[in-house]
Amino acid sequence: MSLLPFFRWCDSTWLSVAIRDSRFLFPIIETFHLLGITLLLGTTIVLDLRLFNLTMRQQPVMRLAAQLAPWTTGSLLMVVASGVMLFLSEALKCYDSGPFQLKMLLLFLAITFQFTVFRRFTRSKRTEAAHVRSWIVGLLSLSLWFGVGLAGRAIGFF
Amino acid sequence: MSLYTICEWLQNTEWGTGIRESTLLFPIIETSHVLGLALSVGTVAILDLRLLGLGLKREPVSQVMGQLLPWSLAGFAMMFITGILLFWSQALKAYDSVFFRIKMVMLILTAINALVFQFTVYRSMADWDQAPVTPFRARLTGAISLLLWIGVIAAGRTMAYRF
Repeated sequence: MSLLPFFRWCDSTWLSVAIRDSRFLFPIIETFHLLGITLLLGTTIVLDLRLFNLTMRQQPVMRLAAQLAPWTTGSLLMVVASGVMLFLSEALKCYDSGPFQLKMLLLFLAITFQFTVFRRFTRSKRTEAAHVRSWIVGLLSLSLWFGVGLAGRAIGFF
Repeated sequence: MSLYTICEWLQNTEWGTGIRESTLLFPIIETSHVLGLALSVGTVAILDLRLLGLGLKREPVSQVMGQLLPWSLAGFAMMFITGILLFWSQALKAYDSVFFRIKMVMLILTAINALVFQFTVYRSMADWDQAPVTPFRARLTGAISLLLWIGVIAAGRTMAYRF
């Protein structure tokens, strides 16, 4: 089954047409997309650096994780909502884009990882910073989220 | 000698031409630019949230600032060096781009914002270091910083896609 009809339908919704026809909507929505990415990567980087024991050693991992989690989730919602709108406006272009497919795959993996392994690990009392497990979880989290970002950047290049 | 001729000379140097015409070098430098940006602005954004009294409220501001700023500066150094290399290779396009100018102005404003903070609210930080709700001036600094950085990213991003 080809996904092409679905992408075609996305490309022709009123929202996609409205965003395409406006000079300002795309850059405005993209600015929110970038703001969300900044906050999402910010919370991820800080928590991962903490897992590596490279910053904020006086604060327990669990306590930082609990305070950062609402910002991770909130910014993720903002990124996804704005991302869906950006996608709708150029769905057919995305259909042909290798980096877009890679980005969606990595995004799926990153979100799954974030709300299962990463969440449980950083909220656990037994988590020790700089332990091998902490390095693995932190590096996985960094690679997945940066992978999503870089694949997204690559959409514009190809 | 005008700014234009300097830009023209710069991008026609061996290095400028080399970066511009290399299929690998330009994307590698630009990717490093974006990675440095994420590290720098990502950590600054968390600090801004603390200044706004919105994030990491249970931690002292001095802790968040002292622990995160070295990372912001490291990311900034990476962003700055790669940014200069990118400019070097595309100096004339940057010269002609209104978004590049907007970006530079906003970068200067972020520096001014940080300096103003340093010489005003920062001096009384001991009084509100532990407070979840920060003074108005601190919140203002955080808000301005966050807005300016988003502006820098948005302008830079727009500029890059028009090249």
